[in-house]
Amino acid sequence: MFALAMRSIRQRPGRFTATLFSSFLGALIIMTFNSMHDTAAGPGVDDRSAETLTVAASVVGGYGSLLVFFAVASTLTVAVRQRSEEIQLLRTSGATPAQIKRMIVGEAFVVALLGASLAVVPAMFGGQLLLDVFQDSGQVAGSVEHSFGAIAFATGFDITLLAAVGAAFLAVRRAGRANGKRPGRARNFFACAALVAGALSLSATFLLDSDAEIMMAPPAYGAILLSVGCALLSTRILPGVLSVLEGPVTALAGAGGYLTVRNMRQRAAQLSNVLMPLILFTGMAVATLYMQGVENDAVKASGLVKDADAKTLETLNYAVVGIIVAFCCIMLINTLYAATSYRVREFGQQRLAGATPQQVLAMVGAESAVLTVTGVALGSLTGFAGVLAFTSVRTDQVLPGQGLGIWLAVAGIATAVTVGTSMGTAWRRLRTPAVDAVAVAA
Amino acid sequence: MLGNKRDRAGVSGRQTDEALRLVKVSKSYGEGESAVRALDGVSLSLARGTFTAVMGPSGSGKTTLLQCAAGLERPDSGIVMVAGEEMSQGSEAQLTKFRRRRIGFVFQQYNLLPTLTVAQNTILPLKLAGRRIDKAKARAVLEQVGLGGRLRHRPDELSGGQRQRVAIARALVTEPTVVFADEPTGALDIRSARDVLRLLQEAVRVHGRTVVMVTHDPVAASYADSVVFLADGRIAGHMERPTVDAVAERLAHLGDELNGSDHASPLGV
Repeated sequence: MFALAMRSIRQRPGRFTATLFSSFLGALIIMTFNSMHDTAAGPGVDDRSAETLTVAASVVGGYGSLLVFFAVASTLTVAVRQRSEEIQLLRTSGATPAQIKRMIVGEAFVVALLGASLAVVPAMFGGQLLLDVFQDSGQVAGSVEHSFGAIAFATGFDITLLAAVGAAFLAVRRAGRANGKRPGRARNFFACAALVAGALSLSATFLLDSDAEIMMAPPAYGAILLSVGCALLSTRILPGVLSVLEGPVTALAGAGGYLTVRNMRQRAAQLSNVLMPLILFTGMAVATLYMQGVENDAVKASGLVKDADAKTLETLNYAVVGIIVAFCCIMLINTLYAATSYRVREFGQQRLAGATPQQVLAMVGAESAVLTVTGVALGSLTGFAGVLAFTSVRTDQVLPGQGLGIWLAVAGIATAVTVGTSMGTAWRRLRTPAVDAVAVAA
Repeated sequence: MLGNKRDRAGVSGRQTDEALRLVKVSKSYGEGESAVRALDGVSLSLARGTFTAVMGPSGSGKTTLLQCAAGLERPDSGIVMVAGEEMSQGSEAQLTKFRRRRIGFVFQQYNLLPTLTVAQNTILPLKLAGRRIDKAKARAVLEQVGLGGRLRHRPDELSGGQRQRVAIARALVTEPTVVFADEPTGALDIRSARDVLRLLQEAVRVHGRTVVMVTHDPVAASYADSVVFLADGRIAGHMERPTVDAVAERLAHLGDELNGSDHASPLGV
């Protein structure tokens, strides 16, 4: 079965692009940040430099790793779900569930291994660049040499492989079940576990000193875990959102909107996999950007750092947080692209039933709009939960003094990316003649 | 029979007795030396209210013929007319709108939308066309195909034969001039296949539709009023009131002729 896995990877590399890309990018992020641990442990690094590096690695590297874990896992889940027909075919050809599991999990392992291996060299350069930024801002002594060692290497491979293999295992178990009628008790369990862990992580913020260096870590972890919990629960939330939005969606998108509402009701479980990166992006962007803003203001107000230095520090921190937010955004695009490309056959069937390409696009557009509203709402909720916890400990206020500008920007980007990627991909897929589109997977 | 004024204005060709006409339709795939001529100047005229089977060996161009006639493929040259109106060569949206009022489809793989119920699948073409939805009529069509008790089921809860009957109901609900069926019984057992073929017959005899069915099965073809044989992208003969044996024999003969002209590639049925 492992041989079959290898063959299927070699024969159809295109199917694995999304998975390969996400494990590559995930490993790159983890290795880049965690190489700061290795660098800090190097010989002749002064205490202050070592501290800056360790804090960056454990705070941003820490929640970054958790984020990568869920991002890679969600891409993998989407990818395995798309192969249910192939899995069905294998089963009818006499493959046992264990063999199918070995094949899918084996594939995920190989692809993630490849992705992580490809990320090693870029991560060395990435780490060097990150160190340069720290050195330019004067946070780290110029004499410190970048080192890419065991910690970067081990965390990069471990987390990427664990996320890929774990997600493939869970997804194939679901896909392999003869008729997955039992709406996952496991899903509910994971959702509750993520929400509880998130709430605990948020409460941990209150146990810290208001000027602890790692203050940003617990609320960021909390926001990520709450986002994951919400994404898993979205199978329950979506029907509610749909019943509210059914009227406007059908009114605005006509027959396309009619299809949207019916589709989304039936496909709530699949859609929650697409919602995961959207909620993560919104939640992470809101949480990290606002927290950084609050932190910057607090540093400025304390007067401990000179104005010029405060400015550099601000830029540095935004740059670091920006990497994480950009990563979330790319993962969102990646997932949406993979999920929409897969629907070429469904689009073909709709066109054969008499839908014009415009109606199919209207359907996809309406669907993205509902997803965006749900995802941005839940993401903002989880993001602001983190921000409020952080702000109330770091300052003596509850609300951050940053205004709504950041949130509006984040929501705007989330909307543009979701609607743009889905409709752009659908538009390209619609160029395949309907008859061929239907034949693809038949 | 027609729902509103827009309908009547849109289908002025309804007066003609000709449901489908193909004039010198040609279609090639690929380019240069490797180009394959799937259809080679096929002309054909089918009257309203007829049931025609299109038969031929694999690779004879029968599916291409159906797809060109149904506006799913654009022919390289030639004219396709449905109900007296020439099929537009415009955008896909224009072609889709042309098809909505005149053409219904039944495919071997059913092509029902898995997220919609039986009833929703059936009325989908009306929804998409923005036409008034007569629920009673939709139910009547579904009862006619024997699925009146399964309106709320989804396609994956139905057998192959039941799914194909939903597909037939969906094809008939728009009251099209021509219904194209591509191997409609190809994936069905004998009993379900017979039900499906009887429904197609009924659509012609009782409701006055015109049915064009591509098949390789002489038994399926024997339900039709006439058979058109294709070989090498050209029309190779007609047969009225076909019987299973006569069709099978003619098909075997077609193969002989081809073998005689081209020893390099013997073609089976």
